[in-house]
Amino acid sequence: MLIAYDLRKRYGASAALDGFDLTVAAGEICGLIGHNGAGKSTFVEIVTGLTRPDSGTVTIGGLPPARGRHLVGVAPQEIALYVSVTVERNLRLFGGLAGLRGPRLRTAVADTAAALGLTDVLGRPVGVLSGGQRRRAQAAAAMLHRPPLLLLDEPSTGADPLTRAALLTLVREHAANGAAVVYTTHYLPELAELRATLAVAARGRVIARGGQDELLTGHDTLDGLYRSLAVDHE
Amino acid sequence: MSSAVLVRHNLALLAAEPGAVISRIVMPLAVITVLRPLYTAAIGAQGTAYAVTGALVLFSLLGLSIVGGSLLTERAWHTLDRVRTTPARPIEILVGKAVPLGGVLLAQQAVVLSYGVVVLGMRVARPDLLALAALAWAAALLALGALAAMLVRSHSELGAVNDLGALVLTTLGGAMVPLSLLPAWARAIAPASPGYWAMRAMHAAVTGDTSTTLTSAAVLIGVAATAAALAAWRMSRGWGRSRLL
Repeated sequence: MLIAYDLRKRYGASAALDGFDLTVAAGEICGLIGHNGAGKSTFVEIVTGLTRPDSGTVTIGGLPPARGRHLVGVAPQEIALYVSVTVERNLRLFGGLAGLRGPRLRTAVADTAAALGLTDVLGRPVGVLSGGQRRRAQAAAAMLHRPPLLLLDEPSTGADPLTRAALLTLVREHAANGAAVVYTTHYLPELAELRATLAVAARGRVIARGGQDELLTGHDTLDGLYRSLAVDHE
Repeated sequence: MSSAVLVRHNLALLAAEPGAVISRIVMPLAVITVLRPLYTAAIGAQGTAYAVTGALVLFSLLGLSIVGGSLLTERAWHTLDRVRTTPARPIEILVGKAVPLGGVLLAQQAVVLSYGVVVLGMRVARPDLLALAALAWAAALLALGALAAMLVRSHSELGAVNDLGALVLTTLGGAMVPLSLLPAWARAIAPASPGYWAMRAMHAAVTGDTSTTLTSAAVLIGVAATAAALAAWRMSRGWGRSRLL
């Protein structure tokens, strides 16, 4: 579903991506991990078409990012919701832009809100929600059109345990229904719970790729894994 | 289709925070009332038309801040980038933003002109041409406001652009003081200001001069098309690491 090959991106003298390769199959949850500055967010920006690589290729279901946007759901690292209007208005907007209309849109909003425990706050402005509720609303906006490729950039940052549990359940369901998921995080237990494969990013490239059994044996923490791979803080 | 979804959404955003819109519509009426006697004393019978069209151009230029502020706020909220990840194209995103705000600008112009005609007795020889001039001016303002929001890095930068831009454009355009009262050097460079063409188009429409209205409106539409194309191009490029301050 997602194939990225030899992506390179520089910002001035700094190389954000330096030969980044990653392939994620339909139904797979890929945990993309690495220190801050390893290139995870730049990779997500390129896949979503927000940033163009200097070189390299990305295809989503065989299409370049600009033509494959209808296949993608994204929850960026920062909360990206309209705070002055209601959760429902936000969800209707992103569902509408993804092509949902009428009863399909209403059903998608109601079902996704229910799955993430947002039904009671659908009528409230985003600006009055707690941090955890905003995180859930952001995830709902990414998932409500059931995209074949889901990009979740540190979606659980600052989330309470209930929010995290609801989110992980929904992500597993999406993958079980055939979606490819790229999930960036700094929390190893989440990836264990998701039964995700791992891609370790450092210095703008993926330096290790495989299953958790393969990569995590003997490491209780991400720091232990990074040390074994000789990954320094960027 | 994406534009229709965005138009509905942006109307909801405007309705959620209507204060700036209402003040931009009401303020010109007070200014016209104060300035009309001064203009009439300075240039005679044409004074009322100058006071009305001048206030209209002046306050619609200040309306740039609504357009630019709205888009810049979306950059700060990260919602503009979020919308850019959807199938909506940059030009559809700009149209979705421009249509409701264009409605605000046209409502402002309709209120000001109606006040001039009904309350102050201003005569308009060609209302149809005046509507065309108002549309062309609104399009130019929307596109210029969008372009400013795509280029600046903070609300304070946008504020500086709006304040200086509105002052220079309205002064050179003859919206604050009739052009005939400005020094020769200012009159010579006045055509560089879109405000000049707006004033020219509206005055020509008030007096029934079809040719001048059409050519001036064409200049404004050219400004609008150029600025909109640049804004869409800038949006499609993204901002990379040069985020907002």
